Amino acid sequence: MTFSLWWLFTLYLRPIIKWFLRKTTGLCELQRICYGEVNGAPRIRAVERSLALSKSQQIKQLLQHLNDISDNRRFAGTNEREVVRGAVSTVLLVKKVNPHVHFQFVRSLGICIEQIWGYRQLIAEVEALRTTKFDSDCFEHERKLYDLWDNLMPDEGLEGRVTKQWQDIGFQGDDPKTDFRGMGMLGLENLLFFSSEYQAPARHVLSHSHHPVYGYCFAIVGINLTSLAWQMLRDGSAKTYVYNTSKSLPSVRLFHQFYSYLFYEFDRFWVECKPRDIMEFSSIKDRFESNIRTSLQDGNTTFRIGVSVDNI
Amino acid sequence: MGLLSILRKLRPAPEKELRLLLLGLDNAGKTTILKSLASEDITHITPTAGFNIKSVITDGFKLNVWDIGGQRKIRPYWKNYFENTDVLIYVVDSADKKRLEETGIELYELLSDDKLQDVPVLVYANKQDLPESLTAAELAQTLGLPTIKDRAWQIQACTASEGIGVKEGMEWVCKSIKKK
Repeated sequence: MTFSLWWLFTLYLRPIIKWFLRKTTGLCELQRICYGEVNGAPRIRAVERSLALSKSQQIKQLLQHLNDISDNRRFAGTNEREVVRGAVSTVLLVKKVNPHVHFQFVRSLGICIEQIWGYRQLIAEVEALRTTKFDSDCFEHERKLYDLWDNLMPDEGLEGRVTKQWQDIGFQGDDPKTDFRGMGMLGLENLLFFSSEYQAPARHVLSHSHHPVYGYCFAIVGINLTSLAWQMLRDGSAKTYVYNTSKSLPSVRLFHQFYSYLFYEFDRFWVECKPRDIMEFSSIKDRFESNIRTSLQDGNTTFRIGVSVDNI
Repeated sequence: MGLLSILRKLRPAPEKELRLLLLGLDNAGKTTILKSLASEDITHITPTAGFNIKSVITDGFKLNVWDIGGQRKIRPYWKNYFENTDVLIYVVDSADKKRLEETGIELYELLSDDKLQDVPVLVYANKQDLPESLTAAELAQTLGLPTIKDRAWQIQACTASEGIGVKEGMEWVCKSIKKK
């Protein structure tokens, strides 16, 4: 019922309303959004919706072209600037907008296009990392694993490549290689970023994970949070975060920052919940996820790691 | 025959609920088996912190499957899930030869627990696709399964990542329940 009403609205009512507004304001829908909506997620999401609903053949072709470029990760460098310029001029042409009068619209639309297809490209980049399996024969993969150890446990050396010590940073057994599983190198890269860019908070979180009652497995929980961050990126929930935080083309770095925030906040939430033992992980993780999803529904949400040191 | 009795006959028999316990060492493939039973995507599995549970309806049964993490730190919690278990499913990575002894010890510890007395056990010889994996028969010998006399047992070769052999194992589970 609601679905057919929505269908009726988009098919018949929406064009009428758009035509009426266009005649009275003299602006096309994209202009009204760029002038009227708050900068950041509210504006970019509205532009995204408007473009997706467009019935113009040229716009549809443009979208397909942009999707193709970002899915193949070619939306970068000089190519990126040219692609954005081309996309903006197509819209100006189709919508008959004078770029000299509406120079602010040109700028604003360019930023929206950069973010929308930058996000789409980010999904492809993150997916490429995820599907790269951790390979213990690869020097670089191994080096990253050692770097992770050094970042988290600077005062303690590893006795060997296969050792029980890995369990101190929360891997399951003597060799972390099987723990990355479905998250591949993305899991390791996430942990490595968190432990190097946010060294003090990461060690703080690690110390919580050693707590006699509220302790958990740092790396394993970290890999499960990689899965959570990846799912939110893929289903589009992370758009609010990316669109509000990103100042240029969204990159994997931004995804790592999102992850670091999630890890830091999850740790705080976990300790607040005072779990009986690790067996409560799934239920607490579900509650945490729904809290994050709720805050991402608010268009103004930005996440920052609020560094505060507490003792439990 | 009255209308009521006809209606009563038409009403499907209520599904019998069963409690299945999935155990095994870490990286054996428990969560992959759980997800493939529930026909879910198995391409992005992560190590289990704590446990997962799913209900699957099959063959007139409602199977409540409990998948408990297998890492050493979590194994002490396994016993909290023993109560009222109908079938124990034990998953072994057939290619992990280094830990065959460890997985055998864990299995016999389970079988000697009072709460799991008489509970039928299904052993999945998982990861048959890996070149160095033991066959189901070899694994049964190595684990000494033929010496089990106090309960029904079965070994099933499978490759959970491709969904091969999982269903056959569940058919045995349903059959062994009907016999009871």
